[in-house]
Amino acid sequence: MMKNTLTKIFILFFLISGFQACDVEEFSDLNNPEVDAFRDNLTRGDLQDLVGGVLYSMRVRLGTYYDDLGVIGREYWRFSSSDPRFTADLLGKENAVLDNNTFYITNPWAARYRTVKNVNLILEFIDGQDVSAQFTDLEISATKGFLKTVKAYELLLNLNLTYQNGIRVDVADENNLGPFLGYDAALSAIRALLDEAAADLQNGGDSYPFTLTSGFAGFSSPGSFLEANKAIAARVAAYQEDFPAVLDYLEDSFLTLDASMLDEGIYYNFSADQTDILNPMFFPVEASTAGARIVQPDFVTDAEEGDERLNKIAQRSESLTFDFLTGDYAVFRYTSNIDAIPIIRNEELILLYAEANIYQNPSEAVAALNLIRNSAGLDDYDGDSSEASLIDEMLMQRRYSLFAEGHRWLDVRRYDRLDELPIDREGDDVFEQFPIPLTENQ
Amino acid sequence: MRQFCLISLRLILFLLTPVVLCAQEVLEGKTINEATGEVVPFVNVIEKGTTNGTTSDFDGNYSISVASLPTTLVFSYLGFETQEIRVTSNSPMTIQFVQSSATLDEVVVTGLATSVKRANAANAVSSLSASEISGRTPPPTLDGALYGKFAGATVSANSGAPGGGLSVKLRGATSIQGNTQPLYIIDGVYIDNSSIAAGLNIVSAAAAGGSASNQDNPSNRIADINPEDIANIEILKGASAAAIYGSRAAAGVVIITTKKGKAGETIFNFSQATGWTEVNNLLGLRDYNEQRVRDSFGDDAAVSFLEAQQEGRLVDYEKEIFGEKGLISITNFSMSGGSEKTRFYTGITHNDEEGIVKGTGYKKTSLRLNLDHRPTDFIKLGLSSSYAHSSANRGFFNNDNSGTTIGVTLTGTTPWLELFPNEDGVYPDNPAGASNPLQTRDQVRNNETVNRFIVGGTANVDLYTAESSNLELILRGGLDFYGLKTRAIFPKSLQFQKPSNGGLNGVAVQGDTQNKNYNLSAFLVHNYFTGNDLNFRTQAGVTRENFDRNTQLISATGLVASETNVDQAANTGVNQTRLLQEDSGFFVQEEVNFQDKVIATVGLRGDKSSNNGDANELYYYPKASVAVNLNEFGFWNENSPWSQFKLRAAYGEAGNFPPFGALFTSYNTFSTDGLLGISLIGVRGDRDLESERQKELEFGTDVSFFNNRLNFSATYYIKTIENLILQASLEPSTGFTSEFVNAGELRNRGIELTLDAVPVATEDFTWNLGVNFYKNTSEITRLDVDPFNIGAFGATLGTFRIEEGSSATQIVGIGPNPGENGFQKFGDAEPDFQMGFNSQLIYKNFDLSFVWQWKNGGENVNLTTLLTDLNGTSHDYDTVDLDPDGQVGNGPYRVSQLGSSAEVFVEDASYLRMRELGLYYNIPAEVYDDFLNGSIDNIKLGFSGTNLINIFDYNSYDPEVSNFGANGIFTGVDVTPFPSSKRFLFHLAVNF
Repeated sequence: MMKNTLTKIFILFFLISGFQACDVEEFSDLNNPEVDAFRDNLTRGDLQDLVGGVLYSMRVRLGTYYDDLGVIGREYWRFSSSDPRFTADLLGKENAVLDNNTFYITNPWAARYRTVKNVNLILEFIDGQDVSAQFTDLEISATKGFLKTVKAYELLLNLNLTYQNGIRVDVADENNLGPFLGYDAALSAIRALLDEAAADLQNGGDSYPFTLTSGFAGFSSPGSFLEANKAIAARVAAYQEDFPAVLDYLEDSFLTLDASMLDEGIYYNFSADQTDILNPMFFPVEASTAGARIVQPDFVTDAEEGDERLNKIAQRSESLTFDFLTGDYAVFRYTSNIDAIPIIRNEELILLYAEANIYQNPSEAVAALNLIRNSAGLDDYDGDSSEASLIDEMLMQRRYSLFAEGHRWLDVRRYDRLDELPIDREGDDVFEQFPIPLTENQ
Repeated sequence: MRQFCLISLRLILFLLTPVVLCAQEVLEGKTINEATGEVVPFVNVIEKGTTNGTTSDFDGNYSISVASLPTTLVFSYLGFETQEIRVTSNSPMTIQFVQSSATLDEVVVTGLATSVKRANAANAVSSLSASEISGRTPPPTLDGALYGKFAGATVSANSGAPGGGLSVKLRGATSIQGNTQPLYIIDGVYIDNSSIAAGLNIVSAAAAGGSASNQDNPSNRIADINPEDIANIEILKGASAAAIYGSRAAAGVVIITTKKGKAGETIFNFSQATGWTEVNNLLGLRDYNEQRVRDSFGDDAAVSFLEAQQEGRLVDYEKEIFGEKGLISITNFSMSGGSEKTRFYTGITHNDEEGIVKGTGYKKTSLRLNLDHRPTDFIKLGLSSSYAHSSANRGFFNNDNSGTTIGVTLTGTTPWLELFPNEDGVYPDNPAGASNPLQTRDQVRNNETVNRFIVGGTANVDLYTAESSNLELILRGGLDFYGLKTRAIFPKSLQFQKPSNGGLNGVAVQGDTQNKNYNLSAFLVHNYFTGNDLNFRTQAGVTRENFDRNTQLISATGLVASETNVDQAANTGVNQTRLLQEDSGFFVQEEVNFQDKVIATVGLRGDKSSNNGDANELYYYPKASVAVNLNEFGFWNENSPWSQFKLRAAYGEAGNFPPFGALFTSYNTFSTDGLLGISLIGVRGDRDLESERQKELEFGTDVSFFNNRLNFSATYYIKTIENLILQASLEPSTGFTSEFVNAGELRNRGIELTLDAVPVATEDFTWNLGVNFYKNTSEITRLDVDPFNIGAFGATLGTFRIEEGSSATQIVGIGPNPGENGFQKFGDAEPDFQMGFNSQLIYKNFDLSFVWQWKNGGENVNLTTLLTDLNGTSHDYDTVDLDPDGQVGNGPYRVSQLGSSAEVFVEDASYLRMRELGLYYNIPAEVYDDFLNGSIDNIKLGFSGTNLINIFDYNSYDPEVSNFGANGIFTGVDVTPFPSSKRFLFHLAVNF
């Protein structure tokens, strides 16, 4: 009897567990929001988060980008005792060349395209569904104008690295990527994208359907941001050597010929929040070889006496040596790890204004250069006003005004003067451009 | 009176006569296990020389009719020695069965609910007994006991940090992106073996920019299992044996059985091991002189060097950090016994082990209670339960990008620096680096604390028994629950935490993981015996597993005063990771045994899982095997030296799930100056991703001679992994850097040879000897995506490359003679072969045993040396033997290769080690006979050691290393690890 009862109980258990075993629950991503979740129902809150993500990803690996430009442009050396390639590969030490599968190109390159993808996805979400219940047409236009401007700027940064090797511009369809465009074609495409963005911004009404960070203070409406769009377009036109267009763009930009307004512009922000990024361009003056930016000594010796822009560097208590490079000055462009980094600012616009005028109106160029010189505590320019001399002077002022902001290498490259950059160790090379990352399969 | 008696006798004879005429004598009895007193059911009972036979029932009772007495009965049962008993009377007998001691008669697992005698097994299943696991010397962690003892495994420690961190790979690389670690099952409970990172990356920045690679060097959770509790380990090395475990079994299965009590006298066992651990190998100092210091470090350093030299205060900081002798104490107490109805085993073990770096160490207390109970004669219940509490202080090592870990800092620390604290305990800043390694050692805490319960229960019910068949129901349930707390504290007083040095002003990272797995299963096993010794065993059952893990990591920066609570800080960040998985499946298997001559098995497992793209689709994993015992066919006469000659072949399939999260393309949440935002994760997921499927075919032979004193086993396997899941590179201009795809096929082929012998066995002297050999080669046989580099730190420094037609673990880099793909091949992480040697010599009361392991070939990417070279501190910096021109020292030569060739960074990682040594002396009984009323059974004294002899020519701490932890195939990357160590232990063990 007992045997039977127990047997029945066990058979019951058996059946229950058999029944239990039938169904398995399906889970979605438990830890992160999925991309597809935004395709059907984009809310205002979603758009804010997505645009916030664009602002975030614009800053990822920015330190590596600036180091690429700063080190190859011989503005400073980047010491890293745990990664020797900053002082070997980037400076072309002995046989070293720029590798196509190393962090200095792959990381910033991928990070910029990540932002482009973030932007393209938002554009896809907006175009792929009826969002009229959530947003007005003006808001949609403003959003597109902002995002396209960011996209153009991100593409420009990558083009700065690979130069004649070019970039892909059309990357909206990840399964069917557009071709690589050479330098000139890519610049044209970027400029066209900026112009398209400008048109969107003009039709964008008075406000965005999202808020921006404090780095966009003064440019946080479609109308005011249009001036930043034009400023970036001016830079692109200068790279194209289309100087009349530079002046046209500058006309519509936030250019102000005022020495007290040099820092006017749009900025990347940083904070110590755990989910945020710290300013990657800040190292303390007394940093060790574990991570330091040491000024290339010519920057000090080449400076005109009294140039106040030498406050962007600071003398260390002791010199620092790494990989046969020794320097006394640390880069001190930013004085804390939460300082904002300019995307584009008025000082550059004044210098672009000067540059374009060298070919159009040299006296206006000299005036603009003097404005910069005076702001740095220097007397007026006293050289001749030949085109060559003015170019020398303009490049000199750009070198000091835009120190460590990612311009020097591009400037000497534009003017075909890479061979004038200093060689610090026997056997070092100055590279002209980065190879296209290996994984682009080119 | 006498008359009456005669009549009565006649009457009785008359009554009995028909019985005698028709048959005879009924012999009854019971079959029990001599060692445990437990019933041995289903024993074959045959009257010798006839086909007359039966089987004992579930309770061990048998009844057989014989024609006449006397006769001889043959009793046989798998795993026990066969007995022939001469029967002269029909009184009930108890047949005491002796478990076969020879390895060939062990049982090995073949089904989820059944096992088979090793002599009949069709797979090369390796087993380790308690004496092999912890008898020679207690292993630091359970997986550490697997080194060199069987063919087919590559066991490798990730670093020497206390508390474990090992990788076990069975029969080569079974996956590239997915899991490569075997499934561990202890008494039927699925055990979690995760490595959970403590969030050190916020300080080390080792994976700068949010790379998912884990360089935190966490321990793996198998460390929580107490080796002292284990009776037996079986290793199912590939799908052909492990198909019964279905979709989680592609990397093999390690089945652990813990000790059980035996009926009879209660046995107490106390043992104490005390000893120390010390570093295996230090890199050593560069041979400094004034000129060299001046050349490498500048004029100021030369002055400091001379001053320090004159004052006699040159310090070998490496020795200062790694030179400690850590004390070890392992105390174990166990008790076992019981009655025929209820048996128990209970034990407690306390480990207290210091590391070779001050402040590091490992403490563990584990408790176990195993109960077996028979409430009635047809039900058997078993409970296996354990609790473990452990705390590991692991220090701050491995790669970084901030110059803060002790290892990286040491590479730039020269002997003339003054880094010791002053009288007030204030540490000076290290002028030559970002951190003062002594301060880091003394003030940083990196602790993992675990509380873990593992409970498993089984019930065996005899549902039905008849003469020629029986049916058994087996129910099993198991629960594995643990809470893991990680605490990493970086006080604000640290050099690299000071804001003036760019620090975060103190960091506290606290992690909390709750893990709960449970598994349930139910099986029916049906045995059917036919008259002509053809036995069928059918089993069917259902299984269900559930996995639930939740990790919360809170990191706080800008600590207030000396507070370490995460709320007492300027900034806090929280990270939560959840993992949920439900699997369920069924299993059927049919075994046919023809007179132990031919044993054939077919089986099928069907599994579904929430981790598949379609959660309710069943995936099927078949298996089939056959073993032929040629020795059973009577080709050899009784006196032949051949004991066994078996040919076997087995085929099976098993799965490996996609990495968790690989199904999704998602955003991650960030902020920009307080503004929230979501940005794409750079890895594109795929909803339709399928599990990897491993198909393994193995065949081999087992041969024994001289009464099983000489055994030889050879196995060849081919295993193919289809649907290989790859995190393939994607053109970064897509916005993603990689994607998960099923895009390839990987094949492993290998050979395993094992030789066991007992060359001498006399009363006073026994000598056992074992040798195993293992070789595996892998090849990517198909790749549907472009070849890509993966693992390590890029082609400049040597990297792995997945390429069709090449080994899965090849190491390539830039070099002077690149192949068509633009890279030069410099090595392969796969060893050329591995061998293990073990031997035991027992002479009277002395017992000496040892295990050697030889790994030949296999390369590492050694970046530790590069870091010391760049800092001018390498011990061989000035030696000239690398430069082909014989011009520059090794240090400058290696540095000169940077950017032009990766050859110097890829180094041979062969080694030969004495893994274990044990020497024990059993004190003769007469010495303690008079103590405690003679209740002491045995006293044993001994000495043992781990890694006592290490032979390698490798230019870092140890060729056994992995900066990226256990998973994936990309082990063997060396970036300033916690150095490995050796252990010396003295033992006292008392049984009473």
